[in-house]
Amino acid sequence: MAETVQLFVTCLIDSFFPQIGEAIVNVLNRAGLRVDFPSAQTCCGQPAFNAGLRSEARPLAEHTIRVFEKTTGAIIIPSGSCAAMVRHGYLELFKDDPAWLERAGTLAKRVYEFTEYLVDVRGVTQLSARWPGRLTYHPSCHLLRGLGVDRQPRALLAAVKGAEIVDLPEREDCCGFGGVFSVELPELSAEFLKRKIANFEETESPTLVVADTGCLMHIQGGLARQGKSQRVVHIAEVLNTL
Amino acid sequence: MTLKSFRTRIRHSIADENLQIALDNNAERRRDGRLAAFASLPDTPERRSRAHAIKADVVANLDEYLIRFIAKVEQNGIIVHRAADTGAAIRIFLEIARSVEAKHNHSGPDASPLLVAKSKSMVSEEINFNHALESAGIRVVETDLGEYIVQLRGERPSHIITPAVHLRRSDVGKLFEEKLGIPYTEHIPTLTNTARKVLREVFLTADIGISGVNFGVVETGTLSIVTNEGNGRMCTTIPPVHVALMGIERLVPTLDDLALFLSLLPRSATGQKLSVYTSLINSPLPGQVRHLILLDNGRSALRGPALSAGEGSPLAESLFCIRCGACLNACPVFRETGGHAYGSIYPGPIGSVISGVLVDPKFSYLAQASSLCGACKEACPVDIDLPGMLLRVRAGLSPQSAIKNPEEGVGIPTTVKFGLKGFRLAAGNSSLFAVFQSLGGLFSHVYSPRRPYMHIPAWTGWGYSKEFPRLAVRPFRARWGKIEQVVEEKSARPLEDLNISEPMTQPPHKPLSGQFAEELAALGGQAYLVSEKEFPARLTEFLESKGIDRVLVDESGARYIIQIPCIREPDPTVRAGVTGALAGIADTGSLLLVSGAGQTLTASLLPEVHVAVLKTSQLVPTLAEALRRPEVRNAPAGVIITGPSRTADIEMTLTIGVHGPGELHVFLIDDSIPV
Repeated sequence: MAETVQLFVTCLIDSFFPQIGEAIVNVLNRAGLRVDFPSAQTCCGQPAFNAGLRSEARPLAEHTIRVFEKTTGAIIIPSGSCAAMVRHGYLELFKDDPAWLERAGTLAKRVYEFTEYLVDVRGVTQLSARWPGRLTYHPSCHLLRGLGVDRQPRALLAAVKGAEIVDLPEREDCCGFGGVFSVELPELSAEFLKRKIANFEETESPTLVVADTGCLMHIQGGLARQGKSQRVVHIAEVLNTL
Repeated sequence: MTLKSFRTRIRHSIADENLQIALDNNAERRRDGRLAAFASLPDTPERRSRAHAIKADVVANLDEYLIRFIAKVEQNGIIVHRAADTGAAIRIFLEIARSVEAKHNHSGPDASPLLVAKSKSMVSEEINFNHALESAGIRVVETDLGEYIVQLRGERPSHIITPAVHLRRSDVGKLFEEKLGIPYTEHIPTLTNTARKVLREVFLTADIGISGVNFGVVETGTLSIVTNEGNGRMCTTIPPVHVALMGIERLVPTLDDLALFLSLLPRSATGQKLSVYTSLINSPLPGQVRHLILLDNGRSALRGPALSAGEGSPLAESLFCIRCGACLNACPVFRETGGHAYGSIYPGPIGSVISGVLVDPKFSYLAQASSLCGACKEACPVDIDLPGMLLRVRAGLSPQSAIKNPEEGVGIPTTVKFGLKGFRLAAGNSSLFAVFQSLGGLFSHVYSPRRPYMHIPAWTGWGYSKEFPRLAVRPFRARWGKIEQVVEEKSARPLEDLNISEPMTQPPHKPLSGQFAEELAALGGQAYLVSEKEFPARLTEFLESKGIDRVLVDESGARYIIQIPCIREPDPTVRAGVTGALAGIADTGSLLLVSGAGQTLTASLLPEVHVAVLKTSQLVPTLAEALRRPEVRNAPAGVIITGPSRTADIEMTLTIGVHGPGELHVFLIDDSIPV
């Protein structure tokens, strides 16, 4: 009997990019895992938490904890930012509430970002994926610096057959998404995005790989505004090829 | 002061091409410099966490450390004052100034105003010191080149380390033409030399020297001040009165700890292994009066009351800051806006945390000036959780807003606030959430039937520079039931060894003298390895080749000079100074000099050329070892000299020879083989 993992698909993938969710399920299946999707899940509460509205974030965090407490096994989150929220942010959010803090702490130990789980826990890098052509990878801030996950997605991409992986210049710079930042300080967000797209274009790669949907919709949205044809894909979409 | 006015200033910054070029240069060069400098340390992560732990201990037990520190400083003969706030600090200084005035007959109708030579101090900027002094009729001259430039422009610094980072050489050329009457030039050495001449006069005639303090050492009462140009040494050595300004949190327990922090500060700030001059001040020099003003001004509030019990204020970690500026240089927001746009004298990530408490509660909104990318935390040599604290300020948890504005979401626009409240209502229940998803999916497909990314207007914020994706008509939760899972059996391979980092290779063993000479040469200095027998002739020959006919000496230098007249009293016309040294530090190419018992620190400071004489047996491998010499504790003052005096305050272009010597020559007498 294959082991079952819980998928916290994130509200962005759920609402905007369900095909990425499907790719994630496929990839996890290929890694020998059965996937369960607790359908009462919604959002982890990060947008409100990051805006400083902790009383708005709390009900969503409590909801998320309640939903996943009913399950067992690892919880896979295909976003560095949401995974960092549940792993670290909840501990801050419930700092002054011992009962909830304990529940949050228990949940945090079960949470893994998608690529982190595949590589560090399952020992999987080779998924027999095939992607003909050039790829470049943008490490999302919360994945890279919030969780320290970088070697894992790079190892997974390095194992993709046919792919030529090129380095993104200034790869570790923020793309300017930053949640509400992209809305409330649009001029700054635009400048970050401009630089990210220019660096992407320098690679002459038609495809940019990310492991976080926030960056994906931000960079793809910028490319669309500029009428450019390059694509931004989630790493699960690359790994889901054969 | 709101986010809206901040946005106006951001737009100005982005439209300013000169500024953008300057800021891009700053970001790239400072990052590269910092990374290269840290590459020379084998144990950066350990040093960072040690530094973090030391600061955590200092802040947790600040009251006790302060009592011990103050007792030691007073025992050393320095007059200590404690200032609770801006007003108190200024009152204390003006009292000192008045007593100096009375002594030197500056009072009376025809008297010239009191002259103050000031070295860089962020604390003084925090309390707007210059303005207060000028209002009291005192002439204050900033002596750090960058600070001098912004003072001449009537501006305030735009960066805590490089105050004139927003300017280009042409701006400085125009400024000096207008204010100093020199012909317009973009030649940076000429500009630097002009400032040197003007400021040399200030140092020599100033009634009071003011400096900041980088670190106060609790066990010895030492004040450590780090500068590159030599102005910090001038301000603390030449004027008859020295007043040091220091934030109460800038303490390290021991000299060993100081060595650790000195290995982090210059690397993080300017990419140097050590700054050119690290002053170590224990007591007043003969005939000099020293004061220390310890400023609180909100620091106790930042620290919070019950910290030793394990629970500090939510922003207590901000007191770990050593003001290196690395978080500014790493911050993508700072890179676009520059320092002035922040409005506060403390810009960048650290400024956005502390300005609301130390400068003005109105600056709390600056916590929004971050995408939470975490580059600041990564760059911080003390591993301060800056994004975490920005989140706390946003949540209304800063000590200031807890009192004055206990509301959440500090600084965010009302529309965003309402949007997030609405989102919470929708996402609080998965059925309701599903309804909103479907409605959103339908609406977005009606609005944009063909393009998957919709055009939305600029006023939405998002639409300013990007299109917005359509919501799916059938979100993932609707598809879930239809997904067929074919779980592959054991398709996974065992974990390959992905660790590509190579084992640490030990650098080949090098004699200390070779290492010292190499490091010194990299800084633009020169070392000559000579035997004891040939040394006197070599030194004479060297001085003659430079056309030097008199030398300024101290006690240790005097015994080496045979054929050339020696001058003991500071004389600005003498071109070269000859000194001994207590120790040489191999891994940074530095010299340690101490004053006392006939030793002064002027021969290594005033002349254009500094010649130091050192025996190879005096070389030590590291700074930490040099600081273990008992003289460091016992001498009135010491200095660690790392290369010739330099500045990079104009366009980060390295210019050698500012206030201190432009040439540094070290005669290394080989005493490893007994004669």
